Amino acid sequence: MKQPSPRALLGKLFGGSAKGIAVEKSVLTGYAQAGGKDVCVIGTCNGTYIGNEAALVLAAHVIDCVERRPKTPIVMLVDSAGQEPNRVDEMLGLASYFGHLLNCLELARRKGHKLLTIATGKAVGGAFICYGMFADRIYALDSASVGLMPIEAMSAVTKIPVPVLQKLSKTMPSLEFGARPFALLGGVEEVWPSKDDLQARLAEAIATAAVDDNRAALGKKRGGRKLALDIRNRVLAESAK
Amino acid sequence: MSQLHLFHEQTARQRIAAVTDAGSFAELLPPPERLTSPYLAQLGIPVSFDDGVVIGHARIDGKKVYIAAQVGQFVGGAVGEIHGAKLTGLFKAAARDRVPCVVIIESGGVRLHEGSAGEIAIAETMRAIFECRARKVPTIAVIASDIGAYGGMGILSTCCDFRVMTEHGRLGISGPIVIEKWMGKKAYDSSNRALVWKTSGGKTKYLLGDADALVHDAAGAVREAIGKLLTKSSPVTLKNAKARQKELEKRLKRFGKTADPDDVWKGLGVRDIATASLASGPEFAALAKAGRK
Repeated sequence: MKQPSPRALLGKLFGGSAKGIAVEKSVLTGYAQAGGKDVCVIGTCNGTYIGNEAALVLAAHVIDCVERRPKTPIVMLVDSAGQEPNRVDEMLGLASYFGHLLNCLELARRKGHKLLTIATGKAVGGAFICYGMFADRIYALDSASVGLMPIEAMSAVTKIPVPVLQKLSKTMPSLEFGARPFALLGGVEEVWPSKDDLQARLAEAIATAAVDDNRAALGKKRGGRKLALDIRNRVLAESAK
Repeated sequence: MSQLHLFHEQTARQRIAAVTDAGSFAELLPPPERLTSPYLAQLGIPVSFDDGVVIGHARIDGKKVYIAAQVGQFVGGAVGEIHGAKLTGLFKAAARDRVPCVVIIESGGVRLHEGSAGEIAIAETMRAIFECRARKVPTIAVIASDIGAYGGMGILSTCCDFRVMTEHGRLGISGPIVIEKWMGKKAYDSSNRALVWKTSGGKTKYLLGDADALVHDAAGAVREAIGKLLTKSSPVTLKNAKARQKELEKRLKRFGKTADPDDVWKGLGVRDIATASLASGPEFAALAKAGRK
């Protein structure tokens, strides 16, 4: 599917208010409107790689929002291929930079900001874990590439032939790559058709967001991740004895 | 357990036994429950009855803790659906009961054979860790083996209040082989162990402030470090977030242009690189402290 330009996509999500969002080195920060109300926006575009610097830019904007715009919902847009394998970033503590970003988002959540994610392009591995997957509710455009990694990449690392993985993915959506299989696992609340009225979708999503982590329950209900919820509940039950 | 045992050579269950009060560990969902990965079974890969993570509760100095230890020998300690759900459940139990939670990490991150299920499990465990932190329930990650904490588990470790490391432990996201493939052998020779450990090892992480304790590679030392942190917590506040933002900005500005870990060591107080390289964890910490004065 052809990807719209970052600006075109921001226009579809936020209308004219998208002009309040800066795009610098494929990192998005700013304030816009959804459903006539202010929202804070952080994110990535162009499938960019992110590292220490990007994490700091995003975290700074979350802190700005907490300080100056109490309770304003935070919308996270994800289009990133992941962390760039880079020795200097690793040496300086990439994991800690990402951890700081998560910490800032947790601060916002506790201060009453709703956290919403829309996977708009690539939402792969570390780049999804380090902010997007931390939202209260996570949505994905049908054109987005969501998941751990494509089957070809999985095959290259695990040495399991592509046809074997492809066959198994028919019954195990966890192995399949894309927004819909990810939704079957509960990792995405709902997949949005890109041609829909995304402004209306976003406004509705913000209005209905809740802070409980419902992903394991969704995964069980949808049949894509049948074990996680029961195992967790058994740990909770047996530890209470 | 004798002090002579090297912590990084012990198995997951030995490690738990060695850092907790004698006989106090009670395992939850133990191996007789036969919780094995259906993904690995389908792929014809051997399974493990605990899916590569041991969880339960125990006491340290008489105080109850929840504790987990990953099994590095089983698919690199990687997180699959069951493995991840056990961790999520443990942290949620810790939050519910207001009992500190310790995780001895030995993992390359998400178990690729289970695809996105492991990825979501790590994200869910992160949420559970922050449930603990919201209730001021201490969460402690121990990173003390060569396998270390990588990928999603590296990020997860930074969500805990504190990290205890030994010089053997490594903390990062992308491993050296992946980076070498990406940047070339000139930029990162993954067979250069000294460089690998100076990039991601406990000494460098402690100098930077990303590890809160750097201790001997012995269960007694790890236990003592955990004990000291069990009564503390690192609150999620605006003030702390702003201070951390400043600190990380400063770090990047100061060292972002250097490729040489020795520059970082020198900049943070290590005067004699050769001596510091051979020093034990605690000796190293003392050298750096003296050098900064």
